[in-house]
Amino acid sequence: MAPEPVIRMRGITKRFPGVTALDGVDFDLLPGEIHALVGENGSGKSTLCKCLYGFVQSDEGVIEINGALVSIDSPHRARELGIAAITQELTLAPTLSVAENILMGRLPRGRFGIDWGAARRQAREALDEIGARIDEQALVNSLSVELQQEVEIARAVYAQSPVLILDEATSSLSESATKRLMDKLEQLRSSGVAVVFVSHRLREVFQCCSRVTVLRDGERVVTMDLDGVTESQLVTAMVGRTMEDLYGKRRIAKGDTLLSVRGLSTPDGKVQNAGFDLRAGEILGIAGLVGSGKVELGMAVYGAVPSSGDVTLEGRRLKHRNPRKGMAAGIGYVPDDRKRDALLPTRSVRTNLSLPWLPFRKFSRLGFLDVRSEKVMARESCGDFGVRTPSTEFPMVLLSGGNQQKVVLARWFALTPKVVIFAEPTRGIDVGAKSEIYGFIQDLAERGAGIIMISSEMPELLGVADRILVMYQGQLCGEFDPETAGEEEIAHAACIGEMKNMGVVA
Amino acid sequence: MGAPTEAAADVQRSDPGSRLALALRRLSIGRVAGALIGLAGVALYLALTDDLFLSWGNIMNLFRAQSVVFIIAIGMTFVILTGGLDLSVASTTGFAGMILGFAIQAGSGPVVAIALCALAGVLLGLLNGFLIGYVRISFFVVTLGTLSIYASVILTTTGGSTISLFNYPEFAGIQRLANGDIGPFPIILVVILALYLLAWFVLHRTAFGRAVYAIGSNAEAARLNGLNVPLTLMLVYGVAGLMCGLGGVQQDGRLTAAVPIVDPNQMLVVIAAVLIGGMSLRGGEGGLLGTFIGVLFLGVIQNGLTLKGVSAFWQGTVTGLVLIIAAGLAVLRETDALPRLRRWLSGRRKAEAAETTE
Repeated sequence: MAPEPVIRMRGITKRFPGVTALDGVDFDLLPGEIHALVGENGSGKSTLCKCLYGFVQSDEGVIEINGALVSIDSPHRARELGIAAITQELTLAPTLSVAENILMGRLPRGRFGIDWGAARRQAREALDEIGARIDEQALVNSLSVELQQEVEIARAVYAQSPVLILDEATSSLSESATKRLMDKLEQLRSSGVAVVFVSHRLREVFQCCSRVTVLRDGERVVTMDLDGVTESQLVTAMVGRTMEDLYGKRRIAKGDTLLSVRGLSTPDGKVQNAGFDLRAGEILGIAGLVGSGKVELGMAVYGAVPSSGDVTLEGRRLKHRNPRKGMAAGIGYVPDDRKRDALLPTRSVRTNLSLPWLPFRKFSRLGFLDVRSEKVMARESCGDFGVRTPSTEFPMVLLSGGNQQKVVLARWFALTPKVVIFAEPTRGIDVGAKSEIYGFIQDLAERGAGIIMISSEMPELLGVADRILVMYQGQLCGEFDPETAGEEEIAHAACIGEMKNMGVVA
Repeated sequence: MGAPTEAAADVQRSDPGSRLALALRRLSIGRVAGALIGLAGVALYLALTDDLFLSWGNIMNLFRAQSVVFIIAIGMTFVILTGGLDLSVASTTGFAGMILGFAIQAGSGPVVAIALCALAGVLLGLLNGFLIGYVRISFFVVTLGTLSIYASVILTTTGGSTISLFNYPEFAGIQRLANGDIGPFPIILVVILALYLLAWFVLHRTAFGRAVYAIGSNAEAARLNGLNVPLTLMLVYGVAGLMCGLGGVQQDGRLTAAVPIVDPNQMLVVIAAVLIGGMSLRGGEGGLLGTFIGVLFLGVIQNGLTLKGVSAFWQGTVTGLVLIIAAGLAVLRETDALPRLRRWLSGRRKAEAAETTE
């Protein structure tokens, strides 16, 4: 006899302008289970979660909690009903301390207003719960995205809600932080908490979940026990067709050295004396833990942050470096935080695509735009990259994450760059879109570009890169051949930073 | 791979309905709908209750009365699109107007005087823009500071006395520009329409205009994609200054004098008009159509109050109320509060029904 579900959703339908995000979805969540919700981008899993934590309201359908009909019309109401959510979109107050954020709305009171000592102790407790090594007095905006995500997790866990929703909460976490979170979830589960777990990383799903619900195009495909299900069966259910090799690694001929970096350092010490070479047609992976400086290394090469040292492209040393000069020299950059650094949320797909084309006068003369040819180019880009949008005039903010990311990649392809730096190119993106993106990256390499792929996801580095450099505390500390090196070996180097195989650095 | 071609078909396929929706979106009708409905409502009421309102003379007077605000609001639109605000517009306008006065007094012809006036506006605007774009001081602080500085420089250089321009023959041309007619239309209305068309072209058909929207939408993304953010910001405040310079010409023309007292209300009315037109202070969305309707809306209200014999003292109250209602409507639109209210009501009914059946 199955236990009564904590949450019962029936016939949930949600329409957005031009899209039906959810179409009559049923969903049951049992106490003491970790229930995975999977599906491709735009399949509706995030929308379903948002209906649960009150961020959006369904147009049709009912939600019952412990058998009672409820209307969850705001995140506040959701919290009152005992539903806590950890989402991809960070909801922290950036200028407040970690402690204030964790205890927001329930800061302990002392005789003279807030008891700050107690607040710090409680925040410390919350962080220790999930094993996060973060200073509770630090300001949130001084933390990296990954650490902010951990604060968010600490806050949700500390609330001790009977229902916990993790909507892509692990997409910006490193492997070790994910591991800690998993352990915590298991502990919560055994104490009766019901968890909804949304992730694109199927490995995590198999690790910690007992049941899974698969959504496709806003409809529920199946809900089943994960026992005995294989990864490829799950993927097939998600995409509705069988997937070949996810990475589709090709043999690409390497050309001459395209880019060489020597003694690159940033003034804040996030990157120290980094050096490497990149050949035409080569995909160079860069691995490292959260805060290892791998993202900053990419930014420094592009010129997005100030740095000292030499960056030489095709034998020419780049001077006075900034993004504009980097682009002009032929370097492209896809940032790790799409929302913060890449998108124009209020503008159309077309203007988002053409943003880096502007300085290149791709469709303009003397500063005057030829909107007609811009539209043609934008339409071609959308077609080539399989961007699913009703039109090139559609507002960017209404596209799903994977389609937004495709737009960000498509920008650079039209410029035929010599070197492209991808930071976390598939963060928060479903399997189908991931596979397409690996294909696009290799297309670029085939056309003779050099690729730097910075990623926290070891499998994708091993699957796509020709060579992997490991970064540890601001320094490059090892070089690995993905053909021979194992994930464990690289992770080990990333954790303790021992020097290995470093032939390149001068 | 099958997906790209499929998506290409998606992009190309567009039924007439969604095409219309897109066309409306492009005209940002949704955004200006509130102001448009308000304008239509007030205009209808006035047309039904007052015979004078719809008369040609009255409507043309309405445009004349709002002419300075119409012009300055163009510059404010650029600034607010980048997510900024220019609090110094009234002071800059007064400053430029004073330069025009001095030039006429010194015997220069109308063309030179207008050019100097516009130049003064541009330079003051570029100074704001330099401090905001390159020195990176907050726009609020910079323009609050220059609001006060420019106003005080006017007072010190004129000694606080009005420069009357009525008797200078060189001023006749400027006065005619401000108050004269071409056929049935005020000359200044034609000038204003031309300026709006030109500004629309700059915003939507030049790389500069594209950069303005991009910076307002996400300045860091704009920088990382190779746009020159400091330069664009400086130029945007330069445009605001240019419009203040042109507004200064019109202001002097209507007053037939360069007046040293800066009316702080002018800045508030300009900002209110742009916001009523549906623009967001966060920047990156909205445009000139909304601004035009916003200014017109405030003009009709002002005109209506005059026609109805309501004390001019009430004008601020009405302008403020309209602004808050317009902003309130924008909040409703952005947070889908209306459907939420509907769902809440229906949810409550369902819950009650469930209770009664138990």
